[in-house]
Amino acid sequence: MTAGGEAEAGRLIVGAGAGAGPLFELPPELAIDTDVATRVMVGFIRNQLRQAGFSRGLLGLSGGIDSALVAFLVAQAIGPESMLCVLMPYRTSSPESVEHARLVVDQLGCASDLVDISQIVDGYFGRDGELAAGGAAARDAAPLRRGNFMARARMCVLYDRSVLWGGLVAGTGNKTESLIGYSTLFGDSACAFNPIGDLYKSQVRQVAAAIGVPEQIIRKAPSADLWPGQTDEAEAGFSYPELDRLLFWMIDKRRTDEELEAMGFPMAAVGRVKRLVAVSEFKRQVPPVAKLGPRTTGVDYLYPRRRPGSAR
Amino acid sequence: MQPLRIALAQLAPRLGVLDDNLARHREVLAAARSGGAGLVVFPELGLTGYQLQDLAAEVAMRADDPRLASLAADAAGMSAIVSFVEEAADHRLFISAALLEDGEVRFVHRKLFLPTYGLFDERRFFAAGDRLRATDSRLGVKLGIAVCEDFWHLAVPETLALDGAQILINVSSSPGRDLAAIHEVGLGTAASWRTLMRTYAQLTTSFVVFCNRVGMDETISFWGGSEVIAPSGEAVFTAPLFDEGLHFVDIELGDVRRERIGLPLLRDERPELHLRELRRILAERTEMATDEASEAPDRAKAER
Repeated sequence: MTAGGEAEAGRLIVGAGAGAGPLFELPPELAIDTDVATRVMVGFIRNQLRQAGFSRGLLGLSGGIDSALVAFLVAQAIGPESMLCVLMPYRTSSPESVEHARLVVDQLGCASDLVDISQIVDGYFGRDGELAAGGAAARDAAPLRRGNFMARARMCVLYDRSVLWGGLVAGTGNKTESLIGYSTLFGDSACAFNPIGDLYKSQVRQVAAAIGVPEQIIRKAPSADLWPGQTDEAEAGFSYPELDRLLFWMIDKRRTDEELEAMGFPMAAVGRVKRLVAVSEFKRQVPPVAKLGPRTTGVDYLYPRRRPGSAR
Repeated sequence: MQPLRIALAQLAPRLGVLDDNLARHREVLAAARSGGAGLVVFPELGLTGYQLQDLAAEVAMRADDPRLASLAADAAGMSAIVSFVEEAADHRLFISAALLEDGEVRFVHRKLFLPTYGLFDERRFFAAGDRLRATDSRLGVKLGIAVCEDFWHLAVPETLALDGAQILINVSSSPGRDLAAIHEVGLGTAASWRTLMRTYAQLTTSFVVFCNRVGMDETISFWGGSEVIAPSGEAVFTAPLFDEGLHFVDIELGDVRRERIGLPLLRDERPELHLRELRRILAERTEMATDEASEAPDRAKAER
């Protein structure tokens, strides 16, 4: 572990320095060796690009910790000159998001591109109650539908820019949000590869602190920023350290409900998280194909994603 | 006795690119020769890469494949262990490790234990070997060759040592996982392997040579950390994690004699006891315990 920490009432509070207050809370069982983790993720990024015949990468940089960490990792893997960060705010996005994204771009010295997605999104839903391409059914859409649309609009922009940049899209989703399904299918979860998808949010924070992600990005409350004032933790009803601990024991360590209860997890929380995980299984898998022929992709036609001849 | 120089080829094979991997093996053999190596060890499936899935059949070679013979010619004057997908005459595919000596394939070990759990799916694509033997070598001592998961079964190092091996060699493609700050070197896999190898070296009073690959196949990263452990259980050499490299390690084969004289564990092994009890256990497992009476006439008589 690279970040300095002290155990306090069974929890590890990782501090940035005197007087600054704790940087984040890290459940001790989730502590990883950040050097080894970085080494593996950086190697993974290089390997994914090389196997596909690419030397450049790009990602959507939101101003949050997940994409900031991926930007640092990609920069370390291939050099900042080979990376493009695409900033894609909507008109109601927090101005802080773009500011924080710029901090990362400036610190890394990589190329960046700003695409305001407001016209794309408003072109479908309309603005201020006016009718647009989506008609009345879109005009009256709830925030969740709008949020999903925004995530998918960003995916479209990112994949279009990937052609221009000649690079592969790096994913920025973490393990916590993947497991509870807190992502938009074919939206923010769309990518060519994902270096941080097996890190819980608490571990993302740990590696982010070690690798030099700006402190204000690590400190702020995580948010999908799909509507003003939204925060992940308020929406989920859990704090990340609590949720990460529960998922770790439930999934990685295969503890039963009874064992989890004995460990002090409230049964209501266990039940709720189990449902979230089960309900979102579809988001983590490739869409199923009806088995008809002798060899079916994903069933009995099983090849490595990249093999001789598959580089572009 | 002249020290034996071992070259550990901690390589990152390219998945499914047989020609590139063959070329890399040739380069390494040349480097090992100029470094004065007597034994060169390559990792599991170093010629093909690990995560092959349906590619396995496409990169498979017969043990008498001219490409292996040519590699053996390149290894002349040394002992080299290389690993590949072996296709048997009946078209079963094995994960094999071959001992190349004097320009030919001298011995082939077929992986016995195929992990098919967790992230592993080997039994789907491969057949399991069914012979476990120490092999003679030009080094003047017998070698006990095993592949990765083979070493997660106690009987393997024990049998090889009882069969006369003085150097136990494990070639691996061990995926690094179980990342946690509590583990030695931050990696659960590495901590477990290190425990195993020291224990086997000590209990069999043999050298243990471990060659693990590095690099990545798809989503999994291989952690390297190749080692040579002395018969006392102490590490003689530990390679860095994750870095590709050719590492030379000198060992004194006389250490085996010294250890076995001072600590005659192998002399005191009771294979006949082990065999008898194994027969009983097997009989009981298959509910054929009554047959066992004929194996132990004394007890059968006493009970009458």
